[in-house]
Amino acid sequence: MSAIDAAMRPVVREKFAFIPAIDLLEGKVVRLERGEFASARSYGTPDEVVAGWDVPLGTRIHVVDLEASRQGRPVERTAIEQLVERGYRVQIGGGIRTPDDARAWLRSGAERLVLGTLAAENPEAFRRILEIAGPARIIAAVDLLDGAVRISGWEKPSTRRVEEVFADLEIMGVQTALVTDIRKDGVLKGPSFDLYRELADRTSLRIIASGGAATLGDVSSLARMDSLAGVVVGKALHERRFTFQEAVARVRTARAIPERIIPCLDIRGGRVVKGVKFEGLRDAGDPVECAKRYELEGADEIAVLDISATTEERASSLDVIRRIGESIFIPLTAGGGVRNVEDFRAMLRAGADRVAINTAAVLDSAILTECAEQFGIQSVVLACDARREIGGYKVVARAGQSGTDLDAAAWCAEAERRGAGEILLTSIDRDGTQEGYDLDLLREVTARVRIGVIASGGAGRLEHFREAIETGGAKAVLAASLFHDRIMSVGEVKKYLAAQGLPVRAGAENE
Amino acid sequence: MKNVLLIDSPLANIANIRRALEAGGASVELSSDPAGVAGAERLVLPGVGRFDAAMSWLAGSGLDAAIRSAVEAGTALLGICVGHQLLFDSSEEGDVRGLGLLRGRVRRFRGSLPVPQIGWNRVAMTGGSPLFEGVEDGTPFYFVHSYAAEAEPEDTVGTSEYEGTYVSAVGRGRVYGVQFHPEKSSAAGLKVLRNFVEAA
Repeated sequence: MSAIDAAMRPVVREKFAFIPAIDLLEGKVVRLERGEFASARSYGTPDEVVAGWDVPLGTRIHVVDLEASRQGRPVERTAIEQLVERGYRVQIGGGIRTPDDARAWLRSGAERLVLGTLAAENPEAFRRILEIAGPARIIAAVDLLDGAVRISGWEKPSTRRVEEVFADLEIMGVQTALVTDIRKDGVLKGPSFDLYRELADRTSLRIIASGGAATLGDVSSLARMDSLAGVVVGKALHERRFTFQEAVARVRTARAIPERIIPCLDIRGGRVVKGVKFEGLRDAGDPVECAKRYELEGADEIAVLDISATTEERASSLDVIRRIGESIFIPLTAGGGVRNVEDFRAMLRAGADRVAINTAAVLDSAILTECAEQFGIQSVVLACDARREIGGYKVVARAGQSGTDLDAAAWCAEAERRGAGEILLTSIDRDGTQEGYDLDLLREVTARVRIGVIASGGAGRLEHFREAIETGGAKAVLAASLFHDRIMSVGEVKKYLAAQGLPVRAGAENE
Repeated sequence: MKNVLLIDSPLANIANIRRALEAGGASVELSSDPAGVAGAERLVLPGVGRFDAAMSWLAGSGLDAAIRSAVEAGTALLGICVGHQLLFDSSEEGDVRGLGLLRGRVRRFRGSLPVPQIGWNRVAMTGGSPLFEGVEDGTPFYFVHSYAAEAEPEDTVGTSEYEGTYVSAVGRGRVYGVQFHPEKSSAAGLKVLRNFVEAA
């Protein structure tokens, strides 16, 4: 296909686009840390990089001509023409200042032009380029640092407020903006979800997010945001944190699969109990009554943990599992005191759908493999209790009593390889404190595994549930005392999450 | 009282399905006797684990022929999870032929999402099946599976999204199948079971 033919193709409007991004310098793909040229690291030619990422032809690729943004004229035309010849769609940015620059890129086959500096510095030139290319082919790039607009290769601050810039763009007829949070770009700490949520209220522009998407959870969370038309991702692909295909699969299912809310019943002596940081236990009710109430409120699953089984060196109380299992019609995950395959089997027989293994797996991870082979990977949950220590998060066994040298994220990745189907990740530091889930811990683990992670420990306010899912990347969120003490109901959590645009299943009381 | 014969497979979690059917007002009898199956008004065929193991058990106990002739004689049948997969011709999970009550092959999920799929997923309801009477389109149900059936479009009554769109519920005449676990899908799942018992 010729470059002109490619340029004249109609622009397809997708619901949410996952856009791989490459920065070019001297014909090679490079990455800069926080926009500094001195930090450039080379990854090869555009063809090599895109083929290495397994990106299908026809995919839109975001390309930044780095040298052009310094020189103020197109530099990497040959590289762009090659990508277009191969059959990729290119949105090009960097140093587009004049209508001639714009024409040159369109002649090279670029589908869309990303304009940054120009709208502020030379509105007349910007308008003429809009006329030449048409609004569907223009993306206005807005770089933000701590809420202020930055321009031109991130070296000059702008004096204009974000709202003013967006209002001007809308008046000029711009439809799409690429918003980069410079602080988040390339440092893999996660995107600025709050910023994108705020922007949805402040502008009618379609926003493409850029910067900070480091995990598949980030991709899912961005794909759900109503304000966003897509995300541009470079570094996470370069560093093989996930593949292009994995990301596209997450985008497709981002809204289909509801995030689960799991009330947890910690059991001692046949009663529900609750403590703080695994200590100071007090009575919180009858397990069957609690479980039934939670199902009615919309709980997606119930967890029942016999918290004194391991320390008392006995198997889990099967009677409680049986009684709960017989009174609900949602999945039941049981844990506590699993020492071997026989304990595991007994808990499944008593009515658990899934069984959580903690200490026994730390002692010998082969138990995960044995149980996965005998009962199916879906029944095996690794329960990992973690505590922040000098040098990172460490695994703690025996209901919080036995510290280990195991790195929490590395252990969870190992458990996945051994056969765990999901991970129940509890922050001991946050347990019962109601200070919020440990998002750093969650991100460390969700970045390393592909199986689902259930966040546990620290729920206190509604936004904690959103953070655990959106920023932490959790597929399910577990809470205990909040629900037992009726500080909030499962239904209230779900209503809140739904209002925030997260997919949840309506409870019986909402139907 | 609506009578249901629940096929008592050692390769299935019978107790929960029985409890869920009874919650929907059915009178449930457990049996693995081909003679009992032949005379049943309604059959529920559960199943977990491997397709070939489940099918071999049916064949070994003579239930495969009994189920086929019961269906021919007008008995209503609901397959659940692997029981749903058994309704089809064949599966990638082994070389054993399925019941062949519905045209199609059961295939493993291919792609980059974790397999098995574990958890709730929405079901888009197509074709106005009595199975989903009174259930809102897009309602989530609970799934645990690595394989999904490729059914004929005219037999498909529900689809879901995982690695692309897959068939999550089927219905042809009085033969129904659901890939999800209604007995674990709370009120919506109980409603589907009740619909089967009452409409079929």
